[in-house]
Amino acid sequence: MNDAQLNLTFAALADPTRRAILARLARGETTVTELAKPFAMSMPAVTKHLKVLEGAGLISRSRDKQWRPSQLAPAPLKAAAAWIDDYRRFWDDSMDRLGEYLKDLQQELQTDLDQPKKKDDP
Amino acid sequence: MTGTRKLDLAKIEPFKISRTFDAPRELVWRAWTEKDHIAKWFGPKGVTLVQCTLDMRPGGSLLSCMRSPDGGEMWGKWQILEVAGPERLVFINSFSNAKGELTRHPMAPVWPLETLTTIRFAAQGARTTVDLEWIPVNATAAEIAEFDAGKWHMTKGWDGTFDQLTDYLATAR
Repeated sequence: MNDAQLNLTFAALADPTRRAILARLARGETTVTELAKPFAMSMPAVTKHLKVLEGAGLISRSRDKQWRPSQLAPAPLKAAAAWIDDYRRFWDDSMDRLGEYLKDLQQELQTDLDQPKKKDDP
Repeated sequence: MTGTRKLDLAKIEPFKISRTFDAPRELVWRAWTEKDHIAKWFGPKGVTLVQCTLDMRPGGSLLSCMRSPDGGEMWGKWQILEVAGPERLVFINSFSNAKGELTRHPMAPVWPLETLTTIRFAAQGARTTVDLEWIPVNATAAEIAEFDAGKWHMTKGWDGTFDQLTDYLATAR
């Protein structure tokens, strides 16, 4: 996936309605009418969002059926998800690892402190 | 002291993360500011710090290379602004090349070139709370917008949507 494609993907994902549409599509292909239901939104408004998602390559819409159901396109989502996941976790992961490391470090320091004492023992 | 460099902070809410560690402040401070310690924990899980040079003082820098499990390497740089041990550490972080010149991440061409990280270390008896704030600095409007929009994927919340998608993607081929 190239940079331009990924930018389109992120721009499409930045909108909460479009993320909700993707979440709905994760449960299976569906029609514009069905997608419009939970959003109190006109069909043209939903169609507009679908066009953005389609342009970003996040969904595909069948052309061979009259009702043109929408379905998720996994490949671009996966590429975006991989990047997002790494970045999302950057500080979170670092903090987790720091916690583990500090635990080990404290144990080592404790052992170091204990050892001279043992030497002093008769 | 942040030196004489002009810092133009983005006028948005910073990304914040806070953690309390069961370790004294002096030790947590050292883990953040000494090379051998940093190499043991910095970066996402599964990533190893394969190279690291550090000059921990205002005006100094940290230059590091991380290797991910798939073998990919990524350089990063901290331009260190403030070292007020054991209370406060401030640096500008960026992607870079091996020479330490700031670069764009290939997967994030609009990500701010420079982001300011401010870390506060607060002692609570034998424990230490670390508060980290992350905000674009000297960034363009487009970069700030990218960072601000990106906050929804830097926290665990994601209004739950992303978890559903992740589950789906795990099964999709």
